[in-house]
Amino acid sequence: MISGNSPRSSGPAVLIENLDKYYGTFQALRKVSLSVDRGERIVVCGPSGSGKSTMIRCINRLEQHNGGRITVLGTELNDDVGNIDGIRREVGMVFQHFNLFPHMTVLENCMLAPMIVRKVPRADAEATARRYLEKVRIPEQAMKYPGQLSGGQQQRVAIARALCMQPEIMLFDEPTSALDPEMIAEVLDVIVTLASEGMTMICVTHEMGFARRVADRVIFMDGGEIVEQAPPDEFFTSSRNERTRQFLSQVLGH
Amino acid sequence: MEMVVVAPPAIGKIEDLRRRFFATPLQALLSLASLAVMVFLAWKLLNWAVFSAVFTTSGGPEACQAAAGACWSVIAARWRIILFGLYPYDEQWRSALACLIVVVMTVLSCVPAFWTGRRIALVWGAGTALFYVLMKGGVLGLPYVGEEAWGGLALTLFIFVTTCLIGFPLAICLALLRRSGLPWISRTTGLIIDGVRSLPLISILFTFAIVLPFALPQWLVGDKLYRVILGSALFFSAYQAEIVRGGMQGVPSGQEEAAMALGMRYWQRVGRILLPQAMRNALPATINQFVISFKETSLVIIVGFFEILASGNAAYGTGEWRFAYVEVYAFIAFIYFIFVFSLSRYGAFLERRMSVGER
Repeated sequence: MISGNSPRSSGPAVLIENLDKYYGTFQALRKVSLSVDRGERIVVCGPSGSGKSTMIRCINRLEQHNGGRITVLGTELNDDVGNIDGIRREVGMVFQHFNLFPHMTVLENCMLAPMIVRKVPRADAEATARRYLEKVRIPEQAMKYPGQLSGGQQQRVAIARALCMQPEIMLFDEPTSALDPEMIAEVLDVIVTLASEGMTMICVTHEMGFARRVADRVIFMDGGEIVEQAPPDEFFTSSRNERTRQFLSQVLGH
Repeated sequence: MEMVVVAPPAIGKIEDLRRRFFATPLQALLSLASLAVMVFLAWKLLNWAVFSAVFTTSGGPEACQAAAGACWSVIAARWRIILFGLYPYDEQWRSALACLIVVVMTVLSCVPAFWTGRRIALVWGAGTALFYVLMKGGVLGLPYVGEEAWGGLALTLFIFVTTCLIGFPLAICLALLRRSGLPWISRTTGLIIDGVRSLPLISILFTFAIVLPFALPQWLVGDKLYRVILGSALFFSAYQAEIVRGGMQGVPSGQEEAAMALGMRYWQRVGRILLPQAMRNALPATINQFVISFKETSLVIIVGFFEILASGNAAYGTGEWRFAYVEVYAFIAFIYFIFVFSLSRYGAFLERRMSVGER
């Protein structure tokens, strides 16, 4: 079990070793290995169906892996429910489709998990929620319901909701793919701010400008494998891999 | 050319009526004819129910039978049997008070301040316990009245409320089991639900009331009333479970994933995320099921209980009021209407209230 403020082992934030994942007979991940240091910012890209979402969904066990090992903050992710709960408390996630709870106000969305999972007193949970809503620049929407907000606003609430759990690591699963173009910037700005403050993050995205600006390392996946990983300068300018170059020309080509 | 925007002319009420019903001579004729029929029927009904009706018991059944209109005297003379059945005459205030408790519980359930799981459970738990103590007595100086003497409206309400109180949680459990990830659990639950649903309610009531005592050990048999309530709750839960499951299917899978990613455990996800949204989706069908169940309580007549409909039969069935069955049934229908209509309005109120913040 990971507890909230005990000194941590000094290993990587996320260590993935030889990860295999099958859906029936279809192999979605093939011997994927990846090590993410604390404070590191990783962008994962690749064509659809390449396994990038599957990989980050394995990190907080929204998907169960079939082979290999995942270690998060020194705790191995296995069938131990205590481990799974502990890891989920420390790993925040932002989804493509926001997944806000529509029957609660924005504020309640942000307060619920800290109160019932971390047992934070209501007043503290509200203070934290308001602070993070401020941070994502929508404090005035606290009493509205998600259905009353634009997509960009909803995604920023979703980021605030994840941050309210004070996670060590943030996972972003295509956070801007479901947004209208004019709303992408407001969401990316929030993520960039978060990155500049030293949050460990793994972000699946097709926003290559964002990757160039923020990432310490860009991972390219195809066919369930990590094909290439490199710092953004190197990745965008001097990739020698055929599949990477083809993907980049498609994404950047217009 | 300049665009001229002309607002549609405001139409007065009379002009509106004229356009709708008297636009052409034929339409006017049809409108007048229908109006005449409606007025005639309304007059007939009013004449029967009010103007030519007898309201007092002073003339006795004979005078009443001779009258052209309705004989409401039968209600005045027999309302206690209809409402309270065979409950001892001197104790019928308890039965009346018990009915009032149900009404109070229902009204309290409409107050948003009581809409937390704990408070609603408290209202219904405490209310039902109070109802039970009042009806049964044997404590606090209240004379004991066995379940076999309960009857009328109080019995109808008791069966309905306890059926829902037992059946609703059971339905949620069944619905959750049915969507279990383990096939042998979900399939078995499905089999139970489909099994119960494919039996007629009458046969279930009959089995629980008459057959079960032969199969169970003596200490488990209990009073017939509670066996019947259990049977009816089981029947209710089988239908309601499918309604709840339907509501759950309407909740996107992303909701549960988001709750998981925030570290919520199974029961937290079910209680805070899944059920509130599922119940919202399932509300119209749920109210429908409540209404059906309320009216189905009348089936307990076949296992020998005098709920309101059976009590009504008894009220006119004895000798001198035998001719006045229409009035008795109209009275009972009116009581059913009050309860069921309130239930429907309550459902509509909930729907309006819950649509706040709908996507």
